[in-house]
Amino acid sequence: MVPTLGRTLILLALLAASAGAIVGFATGARPNAAGWRWARRLAYAFAAFMALANLTMEYALLTHDFSVSYVAHVGSRSVPTWVSIVSLWSSLEGSILFWGLVMGVYVAVATWRKADDHPEYMPYAVGVWLACGAFFSFLLAGPAQPFATIPNPALDGPGPNPLLQNHYLMVIHPPFLYSGYVGMTIPFGLASASLLVGRLGNDFIRPLRNFLLVSWIFLTCAIVLGGWWAYEVLGWGGYWAWDPVENASFLPWLTATAALHSALLVERKGVLKGWTVILVLATYLLTILGTFMTRSGVFNSVHSFTQSAIGPTILAFLAAALLFSLVLLALRVDSLGSDGRLETGPSRDAMFLVQNLLFVLFTFTVLLGTVFPLVVEAVRGVQMSVGRPYFDKMSVPIGLALLFVMGVGPALPWGRATRQQLRGALLPPLLGACVLAAAGFVLGARNVWTLLSLLFGGFTAQVTLSEMFLPVRQRMRTRGEGLAEAFRQAQARGRRRFGAYVVHAGAVVVIAAIAVSSTMGSSKEVQLNRGETTTLGAYELTFVGAEQVSEPHRDSVRARVEIRKNGRSLGTLFPRMSTYENQREPIGSPAVHTGLTEDLYLSIHNIDGAAGTVGLLVLVNPMVSWIWIATALMALGGLVALVPPLRGATAAAAAPGTSAVAMEGSS
Amino acid sequence: MATTLTSGAGTARAPRLNRKVLVAGLAIALPLLAVLVANLGRDPHSVRSPLVGRPAPPFRLVPVGGGAPVALASLRGKPVVINFWATWCVPCFQEHAALVASARTLTGVQFLGIVYEDDEARTGEFLRERGTSYPSLMDKDGRTAIAYGVFGVPETFFIDPQGRIVEKYVGALDRDAILSLLSLARGGGR
Repeated sequence: MVPTLGRTLILLALLAASAGAIVGFATGARPNAAGWRWARRLAYAFAAFMALANLTMEYALLTHDFSVSYVAHVGSRSVPTWVSIVSLWSSLEGSILFWGLVMGVYVAVATWRKADDHPEYMPYAVGVWLACGAFFSFLLAGPAQPFATIPNPALDGPGPNPLLQNHYLMVIHPPFLYSGYVGMTIPFGLASASLLVGRLGNDFIRPLRNFLLVSWIFLTCAIVLGGWWAYEVLGWGGYWAWDPVENASFLPWLTATAALHSALLVERKGVLKGWTVILVLATYLLTILGTFMTRSGVFNSVHSFTQSAIGPTILAFLAAALLFSLVLLALRVDSLGSDGRLETGPSRDAMFLVQNLLFVLFTFTVLLGTVFPLVVEAVRGVQMSVGRPYFDKMSVPIGLALLFVMGVGPALPWGRATRQQLRGALLPPLLGACVLAAAGFVLGARNVWTLLSLLFGGFTAQVTLSEMFLPVRQRMRTRGEGLAEAFRQAQARGRRRFGAYVVHAGAVVVIAAIAVSSTMGSSKEVQLNRGETTTLGAYELTFVGAEQVSEPHRDSVRARVEIRKNGRSLGTLFPRMSTYENQREPIGSPAVHTGLTEDLYLSIHNIDGAAGTVGLLVLVNPMVSWIWIATALMALGGLVALVPPLRGATAAAAAPGTSAVAMEGSS
Repeated sequence: MATTLTSGAGTARAPRLNRKVLVAGLAIALPLLAVLVANLGRDPHSVRSPLVGRPAPPFRLVPVGGGAPVALASLRGKPVVINFWATWCVPCFQEHAALVASARTLTGVQFLGIVYEDDEARTGEFLRERGTSYPSLMDKDGRTAIAYGVFGVPETFFIDPQGRIVEKYVGALDRDAILSLLSLARGGGR
């Protein structure tokens, strides 16, 4: 019954999406009101059917209906209810179903928000979105089949992958990732529409940019949540390993970040239109590549789902989308034209270009490192991995260059700068640079790259803060407003600009925290008997004993470890080894004492409850929590930039004396 | 579906093809797609090494931190497990405990580590911190790794008492994998 209902809903979604795609394209080619009405209705229908299909699956998971194949794969009567709920996205077929839900929501919201604007572009955009929707519906109807019927259902199932049951971050990481990935469909549709129409006006770059920003915020959070999950769950003490699947989420983030910046030049100067469209299309294609990577079994990774027939289908879609994008670009990119000329002298404009090229270089570097092992395998029949050294060697200089540009760019004025302007813009932030680098040196940073990133970070931090509050200071000086009023007014008028600098500030902190945490930690591996104490730096760890903990879905042995720092008690940590129902190998869960300056990280290698011994990996990781905090800041900055400015404030924003203002009043 | 999309592209205006964009795009896209297609359906753990069944290439290498060199030829008569590894490699980190424990508990077998593109001081520190129960050898000019056709780490070779390579394993080993591959090397049938 339930499987049939699920399959019917998927087929209806497929029908609505395919019909909507055809109607959308037809209406785009020959605009008419009836066609546009129907394209919208079909978009909403697609979203509704996807939502209902997801509800059906949730119902099946919660009622343990093992006649549904997906529930038979991942369901279990012994797991807590929340695990049953999130099982929807814990395995391959369900994750694609969930993907469909996210897509439905995006398509419905974008159609609804922009239903009355841009009549020229929108039917095409809806057509592209629904074409993508049709593909994912097809995937669900054919190769993925979460709703296949199991004729003689078992009484219980195995439950989801234990690594995924282990932590609450598993609940939030995938939804963020899918919201980031799937959300890129919307800018992809809008950019394709602008190519199909052959024009990218200033009015249309704004929705494009805003939808891109929404997905970017989700993707930023998702990448870092993924790192956080790895840190809290996998137990090797790091947060990023250049794993192919991590790279898969990083690649579209790089191009999307580049596109967000180049879109600004489109908006301000009318240049780089074709380039921006290319970046947006590339971003979407990279999300599909990432989807393929995680779901094809081609890449070997802790994160990837197992092999299936889904891989080839996604690859076919990737090829079709690539071909569509390329042909469309080749036919139409010239018609987008340019309304101005790009300043190439020392200026903020040129720095935008440098930044864009660095991001693209970064993208190619990571893509090459990810795909190269496959090339070697295909050509020579042997396997290899380029591993961390390649990625670290390449990404550190590019990252530093980006940090540098993030400081120099905003410091420079738009248009060509004079020698005097250059001096005035670039000399003062050297103070911040020296202060931060000196502080790092005093605190023990000796690694050249760490010191360099602190130097550039200090420069960029000072520029960012001074630019962030420039409009406030200008208002206070020229209008005599008080601090609070000036801040409120500047906020109302230049929220996007302010938000952008908040994002930059967060990015500076993230880069500095990565530099410090990856070079200045300390670690040790110890074997302790009950009652024994070991020290690492200022920490003193006492292994009190091993305890048995039983929960319905897992049995754990945990080590009770008392922590003291400089003689003061910090409490007790419980790293554990868990054995899950229906799983053979025990899974370790680290325990982390999180602090503002450093984390103490404990991971069990072996534990013997009877003998009272434990083998522990002890790590002190400095500044890691700042990565999470600063990412939240970046997301917040993105949200601030999304909030539209007060009505009527836009015109007033272009007041004289604000020539250095980056993004004021343009949203 | 792709045909729906592209036909929509062609209808509105007489197209003027930008060849540069098309050629550059295809130059990036086609090789990428070709590689992905070529790799479809393979098991990422499976390995086809031409060395399997052949005599293991000889070597004579000095252990990390110095000491008497170890020669493969001197180990004839018992199975040998040669693990290529590095401190920068995450899977190596994961399999280290299983290897050390196996070397400690299993008798009549010689485990050897060969350090792949890594610094001796860092390797020594890694081994001191994490402990070891078998020698790790420095392969300074990388000749041994080349002779064994190592392309990435970890890679582990299982060698039978007659000095022939019976299996090559790529990726992190666990105890079960070590035991089953060792039984191959001991002549447990194939």
